[in-house]
Amino acid sequence: MGDLKRKKIGNLDDPRLPYEYMNRPYGTEPVDTTRPQFSWVSEVAYKNAQRIVARGYDTTELVEQGYGLVDLLFIDFQARIPLLEEEKMLNYIMILSLEDGLSMPAALSRIVARSKTYLTQACGASILAFGHAYGAYSAFGNMLLGSLARAEEGGKTMEQLAMELVQEKQGDPALGVSDLMLKDPAARRIFARAEKLGVAGAHIAFTLDIVKAAQQISDHPVDLDMLGATGATMMDLGFTPEATWAIIAITRSFGAGAHYIEEVEREGSTRLGQELTPKEYYDGPADRPVPPLAERDKIARPGQTHSPEEWKVAFDERQKLPGSGYAIMEEVKDPSTKT
Amino acid sequence: MDREPLFRRKTAIAYKTEEKTVLRGYDLSELAEEDYSFCDAMFILFQGRIPTAEEEKMLKYEMGEFMEHSMSPSAASAISVIAGRPNLPAAVAASIMTFGGVHGPGAAHGYMLNKYIERARVEGKTLDEMAKVLVDEYLDAGEPVMGMGQPQHREGDPRAEPTHLKQEELEIDGVYLEFQRAVEKHFHARRKREGKSFVGVNVVGAGNTALMDIGFSPNAAWCIGSVSRGYSCAAHALYNMKRGRAWAASKNEPMVQMLDLSMIQYIGPKDRETPSQEERQEYAKKQKESGEYKKWVI
Repeated sequence: MGDLKRKKIGNLDDPRLPYEYMNRPYGTEPVDTTRPQFSWVSEVAYKNAQRIVARGYDTTELVEQGYGLVDLLFIDFQARIPLLEEEKMLNYIMILSLEDGLSMPAALSRIVARSKTYLTQACGASILAFGHAYGAYSAFGNMLLGSLARAEEGGKTMEQLAMELVQEKQGDPALGVSDLMLKDPAARRIFARAEKLGVAGAHIAFTLDIVKAAQQISDHPVDLDMLGATGATMMDLGFTPEATWAIIAITRSFGAGAHYIEEVEREGSTRLGQELTPKEYYDGPADRPVPPLAERDKIARPGQTHSPEEWKVAFDERQKLPGSGYAIMEEVKDPSTKT
Repeated sequence: MDREPLFRRKTAIAYKTEEKTVLRGYDLSELAEEDYSFCDAMFILFQGRIPTAEEEKMLKYEMGEFMEHSMSPSAASAISVIAGRPNLPAAVAASIMTFGGVHGPGAAHGYMLNKYIERARVEGKTLDEMAKVLVDEYLDAGEPVMGMGQPQHREGDPRAEPTHLKQEELEIDGVYLEFQRAVEKHFHARRKREGKSFVGVNVVGAGNTALMDIGFSPNAAWCIGSVSRGYSCAAHALYNMKRGRAWAASKNEPMVQMLDLSMIQYIGPKDRETPSQEERQEYAKKQKESGEYKKWVI
């Protein structure tokens, strides 16, 4: 569209811009003939008109041969058929992961259900409950891998590494040790079953070291919890932390589906604007009059700061307003440790 | 630590105490200790009962065959979402949420079967007679018959007929399979009469029929199918996360990437000048009056 009239618009003729904005070309990019065109590259699966093949195995032939979903998880995530003992162990873990009462995945599923949505939206939403606190399988697993890698470097025993880890992460929701399972034998039973089936390995052993270390330094009773038990066992079955995260979250999503159904069956829906938030829940700024727009210049305070000292004062003040985001300190990579 | 539930609900599904988690009356840990399978637990979750061995085998077959389907809308969603490198659960959630009206519409197929089986009962027709009514009513209305056809498996879904056969082999064929078979018979006959090409039963038509014959509701069956697929979508997302390039647009990859700029083909309104704010009102008035914009409204 080179015939379009050119005229100055806003700052788009500023010489600091990386190129001449008023002379930018219209039109899409030409087809890239220098490289092969895009295709769905996958190591996991393919299909044609008559077959679906996962990691080389035809899936219809797999199920006709008596393999099932649990076996398929090993095939998709690890490209191998599991030992019978491994299949039994994963089956065991998946039963325990199926339901957890009115916990966060069920809550999310039920909240979504109240808006009259598809069941699949509620099931998907339930998976979003799994983060780095609830169901922190990625964080837990990578923590184990880090320590096991350090062990290979030598110099420290597993017990020493476990103690260092606990001293650093005591109380962390991803530690796998807490006071959540002091009266419930389910977590300990998982390790016992893994031992019985002969599938327990380095991850379970190290997690037991972590439990022991935590029990030594904690000022209250703690023990292996479900995160630690299922996470370590899944890794001894060969699943990566991320695969574990996904598998357990998806397994719980079946339970969340039942909660969606029950919410629809037993409870009503919620309309836009229906729910009130009582004033007694509110602890923000007191009610105040909206100033006339004409008075804005008199009232408004600029947000800019012009020195690190000013910035610090403003930053600390902003932290006092919940919901502003200033009180959340996300960890970021620190390259200074490598330079 | 506060262990109160996020909200209060009366529930007939499960409860959890400091000592145990109980699903429909059964302690989950004891179920696992007794060597019940995950598929057994699914019957308890959705039906409150322990299944027969044959029913358990059918569900195992069904979930296994439905889990992986390579490149379908759900896997494409997972791969697209993970290109932005959010937490993995976001990609998995997106894949399951992809299941809607035309991708694995398990619930709708189930409701259709229930509706017409009920009509057969009320109207005193045989299942075969009612299956013909169903096919004619749907096709006369220009509606697709749910459970038939799959755009990729043009010669018939490789999972479908084997599922019917497995159901018969396990001797768990009931009213749903009889009715579904009759629907397929009349569907094929009508298309043949009309000179149309063969369209086979798909995995929803076959799998959902089996799930309903073993007692799952339409929504429970939909949940089983859709969530089972989530596992393979997680694998596809993970593969792209670990082996692929974030953003899926790099010019440095040997193959043109999914989101490379050259993949865009634009067919919208031609390029046009942005009016200034002084020109805006007059410009917008003329644009609205001309109505030309309406052909682009979506």
